[in-house]
Amino acid sequence: MGAAAWCCKVVSARGWLNVTAQAWRIRVLTMLEYKANFFMWFAFTIAYHGVAIAALGVTLYNFPSLAGWNFREIAFLYALWMLGHSTHNLFFFSVGDVPTYVQEGTFDRFLVRPRDVLFQVVTVPNQQWPDELALAAVWFIFATWYAHVAVDWIFLAAVPLIVLGGVLIDLSISLLVAAVSFWFVRVDTLRWVVMSLEQEFTRYPVSIYTRGVRILMAYVLPYAFMNYFPAVYFLHKSDHGLTIVPWLGLLAPVVGALWFTAAYAFWRAGLNRYQGTGS
Amino acid sequence: MEPILRTRDLRKVFRRTRRRPGIAGALRALFSTEYVETVAVSNVSMEVAAGKLVGYIGPNGAGKSTTIKMLTGILVPTSGVVEAAGLVPWRRRSDNARNIGVVFGQRSQLYWDLPLRESFELLRAIYDIPSQRYRENLAEFVELLEMADFLDTPVRQLSLGQRMRGDFAAALLHDPRIIYLDEPTIGLDVVAKEAIREFILRVNQQRGTTVILTTHDLADVERLCRRIVIIDRGSLLYDGTVEQLKDAYGQTRRLIVVFSEPQPQPTIAGATLEHVERNRARFAFERAAISADRLIAAVAARYPVRDVSIEEPDLESIIRRIYLEGISPSEVLRP
Repeated sequence: MGAAAWCCKVVSARGWLNVTAQAWRIRVLTMLEYKANFFMWFAFTIAYHGVAIAALGVTLYNFPSLAGWNFREIAFLYALWMLGHSTHNLFFFSVGDVPTYVQEGTFDRFLVRPRDVLFQVVTVPNQQWPDELALAAVWFIFATWYAHVAVDWIFLAAVPLIVLGGVLIDLSISLLVAAVSFWFVRVDTLRWVVMSLEQEFTRYPVSIYTRGVRILMAYVLPYAFMNYFPAVYFLHKSDHGLTIVPWLGLLAPVVGALWFTAAYAFWRAGLNRYQGTGS
Repeated sequence: MEPILRTRDLRKVFRRTRRRPGIAGALRALFSTEYVETVAVSNVSMEVAAGKLVGYIGPNGAGKSTTIKMLTGILVPTSGVVEAAGLVPWRRRSDNARNIGVVFGQRSQLYWDLPLRESFELLRAIYDIPSQRYRENLAEFVELLEMADFLDTPVRQLSLGQRMRGDFAAALLHDPRIIYLDEPTIGLDVVAKEAIREFILRVNQQRGTTVILTTHDLADVERLCRRIVIIDRGSLLYDGTVEQLKDAYGQTRRLIVVFSEPQPQPTIAGATLEHVERNRARFAFERAAISADRLIAAVAARYPVRDVSIEEPDLESIIRRIYLEGISPSEVLRP
């Protein structure tokens, strides 16, 4: 019986891989088919992050240091966030589209197909291409050098884990918003608020904000674990208000996993409450 | 035979926030939310034997789609029992999904930007269809539904008829035991409709697939279904054959008379005048009360007649009466 169960697991794991492979094959095909669109997006991505970084540069030119952070360090802060965020976008972007699917009524299709609903959402053939991630990687390498971060074995081992943590944090929050849309079909405002909060609070060191915001960023919507706490660790910064231990940032994957577990439970509960658009 | 679909006292109540008109109403809603409950489906009990083709009809908002969504596992019932192929659909969504295929006429299941072929490939992976079976099914559907010409066209460029054929193939590739068709012929031209109907019949007869068909086009029902289930305001009004329904409601027939010259107020014993215009008149009469030939003889004896014809009630007018009058035909049928 044990062997049979194990065998079934392998078969179903192969099924999951097949679906993932098909979804990616289709993504690559559409990327090749709509080359112009791809390059326009790439240009847009570069412009978007370029403007954001330039704005940070201007701010730091006027105030040479923000709560003790200089431009080089803030460039690294931004790079760390960008790495996690763009990896999330590449693999899990369509979770953010769930409220739209619910509103349009196309969400039903996931419920009549024999795979986990979240897995199906994640493997929707969308047009997320690895351009942003490539850009993030380049900027991250540059920023690491630029901010004089010591590249030792701890750094090399920790960065993938922090990126994983960042992906899970981003994913948990889009999953929560998605689940809320099962109860209240229209969640555009919530989506917008959450997106702006992330953008706003991952750009600057959290220590510049007031206590309430710091607690929100650290423990309620734990964006601070995507970049701020890890950067505090790598750059040997001190933050007496929030950082209980200097290596708090290394807990990003743990925080991400906890958050994801909670968000997934909420999502499951929401699925059973799903009413659709009622037509 | 053990039914493949079974519901008992199935009920679905939707709870929504109540909206008050105007800004004042919106502000009040911020502080106290009021909920309104609407009963979409109440006490629906039915059984469908494997391999049958059942028409499920009712006016807009009657609860058809809600029932279908509970049968397919999309919605969780408020109370009652629902079972499809031995499973409770919403509890075992994934397993249930392997047994069913779904075509929603208003919402395509296909991927907008992909050619049909790619959508099918993705579905093959999602359903784990063995390659041999996949090839056979695809070949059969491409031939029957004449899809060869547009298999590599992105779905968004397809005509409605082509897209619909694609949706049918997509719903059937994994050999489902039950298919749910929600308005599968909506918006199609006559030729396309007929092609789809023929395909449905073929799937039902040759593959033995159980078909639940929701439609507003009663021509679909007359062409395809022996049994129909009528729902209105969430409750079942009728569950039986089309013929029985026609017998019960088809008691009133109509006699159309064209007189040689205009008759302002013609009368015949045993029939009531419904409409008259110049030399044309329409009478209603009961099948049980008087036979057609006696009636025609009576008209001909009193007036100079050029032409007569008899109209049998069609399904459409019967259903219209049921919707409008809201009487349950089951009551009419019950002796």
